[in-house]
Amino acid sequence: MDKKITTQSIIAFARNNLIILGIFVLAIITTFVEPNFLTVENLQNIMRQFGPLIMLSLGMTFIIMGGFIDLSVGGIISLVAVVTVSLIDSIGQVAALIVGIVIGLICGLLNSFLIIKGGAFKQSEALFLTYGMSVVFTAVALIYTGAAPVFLTYSKTDYSIFTAIGEGFVGPVSVSFIIFFVCLLILYIIESKTHIGRSICLTGGNMTAARLAGIPTEKTIVFIYAVSGIMAAIGAVVLASRVTIASPIMGKGYETQAILAVVVGGTALLGGKGSVLRTVIGTLLIIMMSNCLNLLGVTTYIQYMLRGAILILAIWLDNRKQYSEGN
Amino acid sequence: MDKSHSDPILEIKEVSKAFPGVKALDRVSLEVFRGTIHGIVGENGAGKSTLMKILSGVYQKDSGEIFFDGNKIEDITPVQSMKMGLSIIYQELNLVNTMTVGENVFLGRFSEMGGRKEVHAKARVLLDSIGCKIDTEKEVSELSVSDKQMIEIAKALSFDSKLIIMDEPSSSLTADEMLELIKIIYDLKNKGISIIYISHKLDEIFDFCDVVTVMRDGHVIATRNIDVISRNEMISMMVGRTIENEYPPRPNYVGETVLEVENINTKLLKNVHFNLKKGEILGLVGLVGSGRTETVRAIFGADKVKNKSIQIDGKLVSINNPIDAIKHGIALVPEDRKIQGLLLQFSVDKNISLASLGELTHYGFINEKEERDISERQIKALNVKTPSGKTRIQLLSGGNQQKAILGRWLELKPKILVLDEPTKGIDVGAKYEIYLLMKKIVEDGGSIILISSELPEVLNMSNRVITICNGRITGEFDPLLASADEIMAKAFEF
Repeated sequence: MDKKITTQSIIAFARNNLIILGIFVLAIITTFVEPNFLTVENLQNIMRQFGPLIMLSLGMTFIIMGGFIDLSVGGIISLVAVVTVSLIDSIGQVAALIVGIVIGLICGLLNSFLIIKGGAFKQSEALFLTYGMSVVFTAVALIYTGAAPVFLTYSKTDYSIFTAIGEGFVGPVSVSFIIFFVCLLILYIIESKTHIGRSICLTGGNMTAARLAGIPTEKTIVFIYAVSGIMAAIGAVVLASRVTIASPIMGKGYETQAILAVVVGGTALLGGKGSVLRTVIGTLLIIMMSNCLNLLGVTTYIQYMLRGAILILAIWLDNRKQYSEGN
Repeated sequence: MDKSHSDPILEIKEVSKAFPGVKALDRVSLEVFRGTIHGIVGENGAGKSTLMKILSGVYQKDSGEIFFDGNKIEDITPVQSMKMGLSIIYQELNLVNTMTVGENVFLGRFSEMGGRKEVHAKARVLLDSIGCKIDTEKEVSELSVSDKQMIEIAKALSFDSKLIIMDEPSSSLTADEMLELIKIIYDLKNKGISIIYISHKLDEIFDFCDVVTVMRDGHVIATRNIDVISRNEMISMMVGRTIENEYPPRPNYVGETVLEVENINTKLLKNVHFNLKKGEILGLVGLVGSGRTETVRAIFGADKVKNKSIQIDGKLVSINNPIDAIKHGIALVPEDRKIQGLLLQFSVDKNISLASLGELTHYGFINEKEERDISERQIKALNVKTPSGKTRIQLLSGGNQQKAILGRWLELKPKILVLDEPTKGIDVGAKYEIYLLMKKIVEDGGSIILISSELPEVLNMSNRVITICNGRITGEFDPLLASADEIMAKAFEF
């Protein structure tokens, strides 16, 4: 393989990384137009938003690599957040956190159980099924709280550990960054070195062939949804700890952002190929984009539209790549 | 007809086409004359499909010239090529299953035909002209493959085609349906329409083609009139060397029973039972849909079947999924290579190591060095032609893909190897290599269950043949003693 740089290869690179380049251009424009962009405060602000989203995006990466999709993470975030925050006073913060993560795990297992028992092995079927589950999880959160937000009461209870997750620092590094980094490391090792990691890619590449060759595809499905549930729960905790309030609809819209982050990062939406490392870049880009647009004074609603447009563009580029490789 | 044999309808001059890493066509020249049936043969990867895709406008050529009906054609789209009178009927037919026959014939041209209702009358005329009696109001999903092919032919005629290219039309037809197709091909020829007939089945080429072109590795090796070429010549041109026999001599050591299957019942299968001996190749003969694939899938645990009894080496075993089957030394090379066998986007290495992945894993981690060793060993042992183990398997020819799948299983040294259509769509040279491999497997003490639609293959390779029809085992034969007719009669015993 010769790696000479030619005009052609530059054009091909540009085409394959259109979205990433586009967001960089946006960042450069923002730097010039709005000097606030490159301030320490703003960069910290970007890192703050990075926290919750990256957690579920990492989980979503495994799901999409396995050829599936999980729209229920928004519902899981809402449910985990309200339950965790409401339990701190009664059972203590560590126990509440454990309960929160376990709820995320249970939600994920429930998704995979329904997918396997319902035979929803196509991505589109999983999409509808997890959408349904998202509605269910949100409804449970609404019933649990009586549709009202849950606050930290700041009574005698100790909130130090809980608030540290979102706001604390160890030296110069934020606690949420350490959590992110540990999760990334674990997931990356799983993805690149282990049997289950390979099984995820193989299941996403061709589930029928993988199953017939003795790959435990059903176990793989259980695994990716369990990871997605846990990661969504961690995201929920980081988010709730930062805002010290949990609403039963606070997770709404996070699933789209997570899918966007994964796909923009370059994981194939159809499964089989991808990496959590790419998702880190994808997530950064998505948050940077929204930050730039905020600074440039673009309203939230137009930003929603842009996010939709980018998702469509990403799918289109991905399919085109697959199509040209397919010949 | 008077113009035939002098005036070409299609002239291809020095056409080349390269894909990254492969020269798919290298200065290919070819003339097809009016009113002739022109066969094209060649191994997979010889360049037949690429050439056809250039003609139909799916690909653009890199260099060279193409003249169709006297006009030079350059950068055409598939629709333009059809309107010029050049139609291609692909192996995987291009019909909309949820629409009616009439609508399919004039798909996308309802307004030109005067509306969606009008198409039926016009489709009727075309179908009648090829002697086809299908109701034009019928939905395509209800039709058999051969009927669908008729619809494609009617569609080609509706464009007033001067040249119809048929890509492996016979691969899913029964013998009777094939006779129908041959009749229609002759009909078309008599109407002055030229046919390019691409096939792996040399018998068909000899049966009704006028001229044959042999391609290999992106080159045209020769174009000959059919009456001056012999079968062996054709084969040696295709593979670039001489092959003495199409089948190796059959091994004949058969030992004690390794597999005893009883009581397989599903919606389709009725009390299927048989046994397999050590060192035996057992041929399972039946029509598509007879239950032959369902039988082996049930044994392999690919489909859940309750209350079946499977004994291996005399011991009752429970097989509920492929993982169980593999543990008990059973391997399955499935029928549809691309859908059930391969991970097309993955490397040759990863496709080969697939079934051994469990063995390569220690404490959850894959040993990548061992993985490469396995792949290297199998690539070498089976002579898989690939630039490297890292090459995407999609880029290999069908024969090499199939060898890679075999390598995947042979690494596990299975006791029982099930081969479902192992040579489907594979060229003569690779077929022979696969036969040799089968022979070696049984000589090393393995046993094989062989399913194939090609009766000569089953008869020449098997030690014993059982027939299955409509989900029941209908007969058992020694292929040395039974005739093909006797066996087929049992395969049709409904």
